[in-house]
Amino acid sequence: MSRLEELKTRIKEALPGLECVIGWQKGYDPLHNTPLFMRTDADVDKLEWGPLNVHNPAVYLPTFTGKKVGVVVKGCDSRSVVELLQENLINRDNVVIFGMPCTGVIDLSKVKARLAGAGVSAGTVTAVTDDGKTVSVTAGGQTTAMPLAEVRADKCGRCQFPNAVLADAYVGDPIAPAAPAAAADADLAALDAMSVPERMAFWRYHMERCIRCYACRNACPMCVCRDHCIAQSREPHWLTQDDTATEKLMFQVVHALHLAGRCTECGECQRACPMDIPVLALKKHLNRTIRDLFDYQAGVDPQAIPPLLQFKLEEDNIKERSW
Amino acid sequence: MRIGVFICHCGSNIEGTVDTATVAKASLDFPEVVYATDTMYACSEPGQDGIIQAIKDKNLTGVVVASCTPRMHEPTFRRAVERAGLNRYMFEMANIREHVSWIGKDREANTNKSVDLVRIAIEKLRRDAPLSPSKFSINKRVMVIGGGVAGIQAALDCADGGLQVVLVERESSIGGKMAKLDKTFPTVDCSSCILGPKMVDVAQHENITLHAYSEVDAIGGYVGNFQVQVKKKATYVDWTLCTGCGACMEKCPSKKNPDRFNEKIGPCTSINIPFPQAIPKKAVIDPTTCRQFVKGKCGVCAKVCPTGAIKYDMADEIVTEDVGAIVAATGYDLFDISKVTEYGGGRYPDVITGLQYERLLSASGPTGGHIKRPSDGKEPKNVVFIQCVGSRDKSLDRPYCSGFCCMYTAKQAILTKDHIPDSQSYVFYMDIRSPGKMYDEFTRRAMEEYGARYIRGRVAMVYPKDGKMIVRGADTLAGTQVEVEADLVVLAAGAEAAVGAPKLAEKLRISYDKYGFFMESHPKLKPVETNTAGVYLAGSCQGPKDIPQSVGQGSAAAAKVLALFSKDMLESDPQISRVDIKRCVGCGKCIITCPFKAIKEVEFRGQKKAEVIETVCQGCGLCTSTCPQGAIQLSHFTDNQILAEVNALCQS
Amino acid sequence: MPVLTGKELRIVGFLCNWCSYGGADTAGVGRFGQPTDLRIIRVPCSGRIDPLFIAKTLINGADGVLVSGCHPRDCHYAEGNFYARRRLEVLKRFLPILGIDPGRFDYTWVSASEGQRWQKVVTVFTEQIHALGPAPRFDAVSADMLAKAAAGALGQGGNRVAA
Repeated sequence: MSRLEELKTRIKEALPGLECVIGWQKGYDPLHNTPLFMRTDADVDKLEWGPLNVHNPAVYLPTFTGKKVGVVVKGCDSRSVVELLQENLINRDNVVIFGMPCTGVIDLSKVKARLAGAGVSAGTVTAVTDDGKTVSVTAGGQTTAMPLAEVRADKCGRCQFPNAVLADAYVGDPIAPAAPAAAADADLAALDAMSVPERMAFWRYHMERCIRCYACRNACPMCVCRDHCIAQSREPHWLTQDDTATEKLMFQVVHALHLAGRCTECGECQRACPMDIPVLALKKHLNRTIRDLFDYQAGVDPQAIPPLLQFKLEEDNIKERSW
Repeated sequence: MRIGVFICHCGSNIEGTVDTATVAKASLDFPEVVYATDTMYACSEPGQDGIIQAIKDKNLTGVVVASCTPRMHEPTFRRAVERAGLNRYMFEMANIREHVSWIGKDREANTNKSVDLVRIAIEKLRRDAPLSPSKFSINKRVMVIGGGVAGIQAALDCADGGLQVVLVERESSIGGKMAKLDKTFPTVDCSSCILGPKMVDVAQHENITLHAYSEVDAIGGYVGNFQVQVKKKATYVDWTLCTGCGACMEKCPSKKNPDRFNEKIGPCTSINIPFPQAIPKKAVIDPTTCRQFVKGKCGVCAKVCPTGAIKYDMADEIVTEDVGAIVAATGYDLFDISKVTEYGGGRYPDVITGLQYERLLSASGPTGGHIKRPSDGKEPKNVVFIQCVGSRDKSLDRPYCSGFCCMYTAKQAILTKDHIPDSQSYVFYMDIRSPGKMYDEFTRRAMEEYGARYIRGRVAMVYPKDGKMIVRGADTLAGTQVEVEADLVVLAAGAEAAVGAPKLAEKLRISYDKYGFFMESHPKLKPVETNTAGVYLAGSCQGPKDIPQSVGQGSAAAAKVLALFSKDMLESDPQISRVDIKRCVGCGKCIITCPFKAIKEVEFRGQKKAEVIETVCQGCGLCTSTCPQGAIQLSHFTDNQILAEVNALCQS
Repeated sequence: MPVLTGKELRIVGFLCNWCSYGGADTAGVGRFGQPTDLRIIRVPCSGRIDPLFIAKTLINGADGVLVSGCHPRDCHYAEGNFYARRRLEVLKRFLPILGIDPGRFDYTWVSASEGQRWQKVVTVFTEQIHALGPAPRFDAVSADMLAKAAAGALGQGGNRVAA
């Protein structure tokens, strides 16, 4: 029995006690998998596992408040689950976590770029296969082999959690984390390389492209305010509906600062962005600060208190300026 | 909203550097302002009447006053608008005195800045909502922390006023520093004769519960309902059995321990009652010197105790006292004279503090009231007093005047002559500070009747020579160097904040200054109040004070407590946080961070929600800046109000 | 009324009511002269200051923001300034990635008795902001820089400023 079949069996065993189990299924074309909500054994048979499972299913968990659900997670997804548990947004008794070792997911933008390089449109994909190392995409009648290491998401290149950090049912043997890859943080490095005024120009340019669709927020598993996001409320009225780069940047600042000490860098905000705006860089920068200041990483320990919800009488790494 | 704006001249305090008429005129351009004027003294009776009249004449629904700091007159003006029929929270202040007119002379810039400050006050006011306080019951018990003369006075006045009083004292007896004094200036009354009866009153008062040898461990709650955990330190003597007979002290074989009550110039036994008039008169074992504890065998006191009160296995005990108000009266401690190395305090036995000298003068002291110098027990003939040791000295980070040293030095010079008629006292002083009733006359007597020689100048050094202490200093009036051969040198050690005062302040949530003295609410008008409602100050914990000042403050604090408790219900400040239940996702971040445990989780239609406990919320707003969806808003300081202020400042 | 052109810059202060606002009052009572640029917004506690207020103030064009609260351990609300310290430090380190000079924001602690300290803080901070000059405005980035951004040609100068 393959690992996926074994996983399906475990899910089917648990399903009678659960409202549903969240996972992935084939989407509208072979290149796109989409979320799957398994309520019957037939649903479970649709479950997919592999590099096309880009979505973070943890985002759906808080919507099931009060109901017992299952969720299939990649390592990174599991950190979001941990963070939700830590923040009291889901109840440990009401979630059953299924995990498998993950070798990385693709970055669709990179795959599309490869296809474009080969002269074919991503809209014509007819088949996708992978052997764990290479993804082969057939489009326009020709098959392009892409090493996973080259088309995987940036986060996978530096992933320290290929196995679920928390799981009730884990299928397969845990695998070793990837060695940290410098290139994976190219977005942050690029910003670091800019002068402060250049960074202002950088964001101004990108914010002018922003269509204010809030896909970044809606995909974020930690954006738990949902219908009550302060980006769209009048009480409090943080942002106007003015279509200005300033207001749009302010929204990105709200999102980033609300995630300070909570973001697990699942990258869903940036993946969901239809304009390919590198919004994850803001959160990565904050995470680097949080690590430097508080030696803390979000979504690892369900018992931990996020660093901005606690304090030390004497802070180790904060030095007050003298006047 | 119909807003009226009043720009105060404050005489020339504001008008001198701010063109108030221009500020008033500019205010008329701001949204919803229907009336604006300048006024001579907004806080005066005609000033307030003018505001009230304008509210009625112009149908104002909100008022901005630009004048002094809201920390001064916000309550005044709130009452005024309330008298005119408005809700008192439909009012905002712009601080154009402390923050504008007094800190810069540029009239154009000041006028301009005043307009900005009025503008943000208007923007905040436009988003104010009427608030009404709710009422809560109060526990009419009061705790007094510290059993010195200030604390004793506060406790007795409260108890006489019919309140239940819990008095907590760190030492095994109340009495404080005053109990150690021999006589008091300027009357030369016997200290224990005037303090003793008050101490007995404390012991016998049916309304007073005394926790001696106890310290405040933790404080929770808020005005009207504090919960104080008091640590009763182990005495190793069951005080319900101890009669204070002193048999244990007579037989205790460990007799050579430094006696803290006698400022360590005499010995005491390991089991000890500090002084004959102690209240309560109960023995305490010092486990650091007691042979039973140090060597594991002895047990003499247990054998001789006629009531079997000795309990070597006693442990500290925590008792919780619920009170509605707290008076802090923790007094002071002395500057460590060994820090002034050139005077040799701590190195030479015949260089002592004024308080040690009190013990030598006292009939109940280690020398039975005969002045004998510590080194050889001889009676000194030449006694040198050096003032301002650890006072008025920037180099020691003690720039303040300790206030009472000039007077007690004069008293000690007089007493020295009384005890030893052929003695000569010398007093090195910087200035003589004697501004009390009969005080200056008293220092004159020391000089003129008792022949104390006052030398204006600092002492450079003190060193021993042939059994004498040589005191070398300057006489700045004569412009000469002086050298005095002294038998005994008495240093007027300055007063410092009591050891542990900052820690207690943190527990009480009151401020303290950089020296550790507790901060009063206003230096002139609220000298015994603190910025924490229900916590009052008495005596030297607020700053050095002599006995009459301490007693006066003790009574003042008691009056404040009695006034507070004259009502059966207190009004809570309505500027507290409120939860918008629709927006709350029940994540509990506000519950985790609230410093007062003022937010609880409730179930609402099967969903978790946060709920503010009105009477517990203190209005800090930490929850508001913690809640990502802005579901919990601090009334009167809402996100929208602060954002409106920010926007007003940024768009101009 | 705008800030005095050429003379003043737009500096916004967020001060806790109990310590720093009182300290600024004490400075006033003592007639400790200060630059006139600063406009103070009074809040109950430094813990009330959502870092987003500061971000908003700076993004909307203020030249400087100064936050002051009670000294650690001396918070009127016991703990507010401890939370504030963490959040404000995170913000201070975050600003440069947005393109805002971190020198435009500072936070400090001034007690109600420290009038002279307040005078010093205001004076030093105002001088610091004047040294930086008027803040570059997010809505006034030059066409040249925008073109570079569009071309992905930023960050080539090697003039990296510590993040």
